[in-house]
Amino acid sequence: MQRFLDPSVLGAISGLDLVAKTVVDGFVAGLHRSPDFGFSQEFAEYRAYSPGDDLRHVDWNVFARTERAYLKRYRGETNSLLTVLLDASNSMNYTSHGVSKMDYARFTAASLFYLAIRDQRDAAGLIVFDDEVRNYIRPSIRQGQLQRLLSGLELAEPHARTDFAKPLHHFQEFLRRRGIVLMISDFYESPEKVIRTIEPLRFHGNEVVLFHVLDPKEIRPDLGEPAVLVDLETREHLEVTPEYMRNEYRRKIDAHIEALRDGARSAGMDYHLLVTDQPLDGALREYLTIRQGRN
Amino acid sequence: MGFLSPWFLAGALAVGIPIYLHLLRRHTTTPQPFSSLMFLEHRTQSSIRHRRLRYLLLLSLRLALLVLLALAFASPYINRPAASASGDKLLLLAIDNSFSMRAGSRLADAKREALSVLADKSPAGRAQIVAFGSQVNVLTQPVEDATTLRAAVESIAPGDSRGSLGELAHAVRSIAQNVRAPIELHVFSDMQKSGMPANFAEMVLPDGVSLVLHPVVKSSVPNWTVENVNAPGEVWDPKKARVQAVVAGYGTPAATRSVSLVVNGKTIAMRSVAVPASGRASVEFQSLDVPYGFSRCEVRIDSADSLRADDAYTFAVGRFDPQRVLFVHDASDTRSPVYFGSALAAAAESAFAVDSVSTERAANTQLGPYALVVLSDVSSLPSSFENDLLRYVRGGGGVLIAAGTSSARRSRIPVFGDNILASHYYSREAERFVAVGETDASSPPAGKAVQWAGVRFYYATAVDAANSRVVARLTDQTPLLLDKKIGEGRVMLLASGLDNLTNDFPLHPIFVPFVEQTARYLSGTERRGGSRPVDSFLDLRTAKEQAVSVEVIDPTGHRPLSLKEATSASSYQLTQAGFYELHLANGRQDVVGVNADRRESDLAVIPDDVLSLWTGKPKEAPPASAVGQEPARQQLKPRSLWWYAMLLVLAAAVAESLLASRYLGVQREEE
Repeated sequence: MQRFLDPSVLGAISGLDLVAKTVVDGFVAGLHRSPDFGFSQEFAEYRAYSPGDDLRHVDWNVFARTERAYLKRYRGETNSLLTVLLDASNSMNYTSHGVSKMDYARFTAASLFYLAIRDQRDAAGLIVFDDEVRNYIRPSIRQGQLQRLLSGLELAEPHARTDFAKPLHHFQEFLRRRGIVLMISDFYESPEKVIRTIEPLRFHGNEVVLFHVLDPKEIRPDLGEPAVLVDLETREHLEVTPEYMRNEYRRKIDAHIEALRDGARSAGMDYHLLVTDQPLDGALREYLTIRQGRN
Repeated sequence: MGFLSPWFLAGALAVGIPIYLHLLRRHTTTPQPFSSLMFLEHRTQSSIRHRRLRYLLLLSLRLALLVLLALAFASPYINRPAASASGDKLLLLAIDNSFSMRAGSRLADAKREALSVLADKSPAGRAQIVAFGSQVNVLTQPVEDATTLRAAVESIAPGDSRGSLGELAHAVRSIAQNVRAPIELHVFSDMQKSGMPANFAEMVLPDGVSLVLHPVVKSSVPNWTVENVNAPGEVWDPKKARVQAVVAGYGTPAATRSVSLVVNGKTIAMRSVAVPASGRASVEFQSLDVPYGFSRCEVRIDSADSLRADDAYTFAVGRFDPQRVLFVHDASDTRSPVYFGSALAAAAESAFAVDSVSTERAANTQLGPYALVVLSDVSSLPSSFENDLLRYVRGGGGVLIAAGTSSARRSRIPVFGDNILASHYYSREAERFVAVGETDASSPPAGKAVQWAGVRFYYATAVDAANSRVVARLTDQTPLLLDKKIGEGRVMLLASGLDNLTNDFPLHPIFVPFVEQTARYLSGTERRGGSRPVDSFLDLRTAKEQAVSVEVIDPTGHRPLSLKEATSASSYQLTQAGFYELHLANGRQDVVGVNADRRESDLAVIPDDVLSLWTGKPKEAPPASAVGQEPARQQLKPRSLWWYAMLLVLAAAVAESLLASRYLGVQREEE
């Protein structure tokens, strides 16, 4: 099943829904072997019936014994609100092995949506942004929400450059309800600015997770000869040497990742590095862990 | 080194193209997309390391290809002296062994001087030895071994041929073409004036040949010789044989010389003759009393000069009984026996004895003793005699038939057998006579000395020539002389008479050789004995005598022909003076005396100015003292290097193609 989580395998699958189903089914099949994780139909608590509750959830056995109506609550029914903030800047188009960061982000987001809506019955929404908010799909559990989200992912084509500050106030408008906020981005911004920009989302009680998507060649670039590199966002040209890429660049990118991770943690956010040649289960696992913690 | 077309060197500037391709074009780096330059800093590689050349070998080949191509088109050449280093020079020693070198110690002096030249040769130098007379005999190949060269020089024996400097120059030109190296030619000779060719241009040596002359004599010396002897090769009546000899003196004072006729080693006659200064005198011996068979004769003088070999002139004489000829004629014809008999007696010197008989008396004649039968315009022939004649011919005899006016009454030529078609009386016609139109020169009776011009024919019998060979035709195409082989014998038909009535043939001088050659042809006898000059060729067999062995014994008693040559050679060159004994294919034996060319007896030397002209050096120039140190004519010869440059271009192109293909292949794989 692990191979269904391999990005290179998923890259050959045309539809995002099929990708998401493949990933999640494979992921879930792997989870059954783990005792550490409960599941959505697992009993959580009884709650006293109040008018308006769905009678289908009344535990009639308890009512027969106590003549009191209690609703049986399950963990899966602890509804969460999942909002994915997807960075659709040009830098997300970079790839060194066939699956671009944008593709990987789409696969991740689609899998998360599938897992949230189909298995967890969470409301899920999507915000696609670069230097503006390009698309916003309100979190919902309505029929067809998954399809809307996947369609939103399909339409999210990278352009322009990233600017976290500019669309921030839109985020705050959209994220008034408490929930889980997942930001998928390559975070080519100073860690302080990223944390400072995203930190306000945390104030609304949201669980914020930073999914840092990077290509393996961005972490460990391998230049055989001097090259001129073009910034995908600014179109600037820069001549670099292999020696620099081998030494100073690696040191800087490692420091950047570390700074992001430390900054996120200090701000009460979770940070997860997603490398595009690695399986997708890391992101799913992170989501479930957070969700379980919330319940 | 220079260039014939130096402007093409400008093409070498094209080397900039591969340099551009390899150096500049390779580094117009295609920008690579990258997510963000946020963590990058501008770093420029040092020019040396960054702009390093890739595919250095390929670049080198391409540069070499272009430079070589420009070089080839510029036509490079180097100036090489025609005679360069002495190590490359071929020392060519030519030693004259012609007949005149027998005078005194000329040949020994020449060989001694040649050995001294060889002794001065550097050990690494190559040398070649040739001996020359009328032909050049290559004794060694170009070798360094002094022992081989010395042995070759010492092996040179005096020859009897005539020296020819023209032949030597021709041979040197051939050697120069093959050797392709400077040649230092040393000629050891008596520099005989008669050895020069008629045209001085034939003596000119090619470029690269330096000539050093080693004359063994400095000036002319007087010499007497028996220049020529006129003697019959065959004798039938010794009392009628005459021997005439010419005694000549070259550079000699007037003197009286004693001339003796020697037969088989015995002096049988002696005369004294006064020879004028540098002149000639003839002497005649009235008889030649030789025994039957071949005798080895010579005419000898007492000259007491340095060249003794030319004081005797050899010739061979064979004595035989005369052969009998039966001449059959009508009783009324008294003219033809006279003409025929006189002509035969004049030409063949009593080789043939003619028996004239009339037709009536011929019937009882036995034909066996006769070598030839002549039917001279017989009107009728006894049938028994005709049958005897046919048997005689079939058995190998020869018959000559003259068909005069008497044949007009017959329908067929007797013995010959062919039908008579018509009788042409040209004297009664407008033209009055006809001449001989065409002849077959390959036939002995019509060939050689027989010239038919001026002979008038007033009558001719036209016969059907379908079964015979026409040797001569009249101008109206009437066959005049026909030849037919019957059995082992042969019959010839003259379609006219021998009586000076039907033609004026007997009155012409050509009648004599015609009668002689016809008699010899039909009787099967040819000239034997006599004398020949050295280097002449002797016919060993006719076309009909193939695959029959012949034998030649030279003056030294050796048999020079190999077994294969004995059965196949058609001629033999007489290379030595003396007596050659021949055993020919038809069983006949012959002896011929061979004498050196008497031009060799003139010991006058070539003038110094001519020799200077030949050597190309001034007359006063001292002779070379040391071998290989003589400055050769230092002509600078441009030697083109175009071919070498083009070969290098080809090699570079092939290597470049292979290498480039390999690199491109790698690139494709990389793609």
